[in-house]
Amino acid sequence: MDTRTKELQNFRPNKTPAKKTVKEIIYHVVGIVISVIFVLPIVYMIATSTKSESAYAASVGTLNMFLPDFANLGVAFENYGNVLLNYDIWKYALNSCIYALIVIVLNILVNGLAGYVMAKLTFPGKKLLSFMIIFLIVVPVETSIIPLYSIVKIMLGLKQQMSVLGVILPATISIFNIFLFMQFFENIPKEYEEAARIDGASTLDVFFKVIMPLSKPIIATVAVFCFIGVWNDYLWPSMILPSADDGSWPLLPIQTALITIKSIESITTGEIMASLVITSIPIFVIYVAAQKYIVQGFGTSGLKM
Amino acid sequence: MTVTSIVIFLLFLFAFGGFVIYDLLTAKRHKEVYRVKSTVTAYLMLLPSVALAFLFILLPILYSLGYAFTDYYLLQPDKIGFVFLDNFAEIFEEISTKGMLYNAIINTLTFVVGVVPLQIGLALLLALFVNRPGIGSKIFKVCFFAPVVISLSVTAFLWEQILAPGPGGLLNSMLSVFGVAPHDWLRDPATAMPCIIVLSAWQGCGYQMLIFLSGLSNIRKDLYEAASLDGANAWHKFWNVTWVGLRSTFVYILITVFIGACRIMTQPMLMTGYMEHTVTLSYYMYNSGYTERLVGESSAVALLMTIFIGGITLMQRRLFREK
Repeated sequence: MDTRTKELQNFRPNKTPAKKTVKEIIYHVVGIVISVIFVLPIVYMIATSTKSESAYAASVGTLNMFLPDFANLGVAFENYGNVLLNYDIWKYALNSCIYALIVIVLNILVNGLAGYVMAKLTFPGKKLLSFMIIFLIVVPVETSIIPLYSIVKIMLGLKQQMSVLGVILPATISIFNIFLFMQFFENIPKEYEEAARIDGASTLDVFFKVIMPLSKPIIATVAVFCFIGVWNDYLWPSMILPSADDGSWPLLPIQTALITIKSIESITTGEIMASLVITSIPIFVIYVAAQKYIVQGFGTSGLKM
Repeated sequence: MTVTSIVIFLLFLFAFGGFVIYDLLTAKRHKEVYRVKSTVTAYLMLLPSVALAFLFILLPILYSLGYAFTDYYLLQPDKIGFVFLDNFAEIFEEISTKGMLYNAIINTLTFVVGVVPLQIGLALLLALFVNRPGIGSKIFKVCFFAPVVISLSVTAFLWEQILAPGPGGLLNSMLSVFGVAPHDWLRDPATAMPCIIVLSAWQGCGYQMLIFLSGLSNIRKDLYEAASLDGANAWHKFWNVTWVGLRSTFVYILITVFIGACRIMTQPMLMTGYMEHTVTLSYYMYNSGYTERLVGESSAVALLMTIFIGGITLMQRRLFREK
């Protein structure tokens, strides 16, 4: 579109330039006000994480609540250092990352294959399976968490180290991700597959060499979901993992550990906030990196429930 | 339990086989052509997901369904016995005497009725607000999305501080500027659930905003131009072009937000603990099944909850789906 047609389009006889500027100013003022409401608690969290207990108490009720303690930046390092090293947050964070990484790889493989079969192949029994997918999305996980607990306990026995599998294995299957993959794959034109078939590729070859490279948006979306799911889960790991503190490497993921750390008596508000900031950083980074793909993943899959 | 699981597995195979044979017999009528090779490939590729889904999703659901009719006590799995509808009778008694379960139902309904319109409405408004070119709207988008990045348990801690009782809490100290006396937001039954509704919508709506935005980007621009030529005003344009274009996105968001809202547990669990005025259905189920170890009763509640959610979800699909 050249500038002339653009100008013509924007031309409205009843709108003077002055009116337009006023409108722009109102838009931005409103936007800033709403943005402040959304960001203020986060600013508060970051600001408090830099303060000692007395500095925090002094700041309460004043604007200083939302400002870091610039006079004593050493306290900030102390808070973060304490949380990371004395309370072992880095070990729990590493645990969460390892669990998440394994879950992401397995989840994409398992559910991607299922989504591909459901979207592209015809076989008897398909109708029942697609009905079951919708049905199982609706059933809330919480309703079956106790039988799941019994099943996993029986499967894995009572060995402590095996309980890690109890965190990973149930997270590798996600009906919702099968649904997302299915919707995305349905929109890939079959010409791509047919071209590969003529060259003699098997179904598995088509999946790995044709379908998967075309599906980066949905793979990124599912990977982000998996990471966030594992990173944020606290209830299931707290049920299944031993919290035995015998000096060996802990098995707990970060959120479960966070709840324990929060109840330590000597911990300061600043230190709690520092640990909250640390747990939020990875998700922030991942969202920013994958935001473009998530919008694409949802935009192109059509989302027909 | 191992033997029962194997029996259930065999029954599952049997039922599944029945459906496969039915599909094969009616193949001609439905004009489907099934090939042996592609069927074998399909099932081989489905094997990992079906096996995992059976073990970790279907089997627990079936057990939960079965436990609903037993007096299963978690510490004595050998003494399990059928009690038929006793659990349901107990549930109805607890509801009629306004016990904890009654509170859980009321609180969950309050939460769902409050948060679903608030969160979806906010998400749609924010999406329309930032859906324009310019650096300002880009920055706003990031700000609105920021709370999504914070996990639920972090949100719970953070808002516990914000809503803290006494003059030290963030909200109280901000309101004290206007001369409002400090208030115990989370202990007061009148304000606890509204606070949880607001913080949940605040935390979640940025994500739905992103989905709405991707829906908006799929609406063809020439439809708006055509509407302008027809003399449509802003409201007509929204109703006849934007809303129609967002319909399938809206149904998807409605169903996922609704199911998510019904499952609410983390916020009350971490912010107030097991309290009459904030207990929710999921929390009640977790408490009676895992903490009190009364799996039978917990499963009966689970069954009723699943039927309720399933029913409403089907209704939503019927009501709002494109014809």
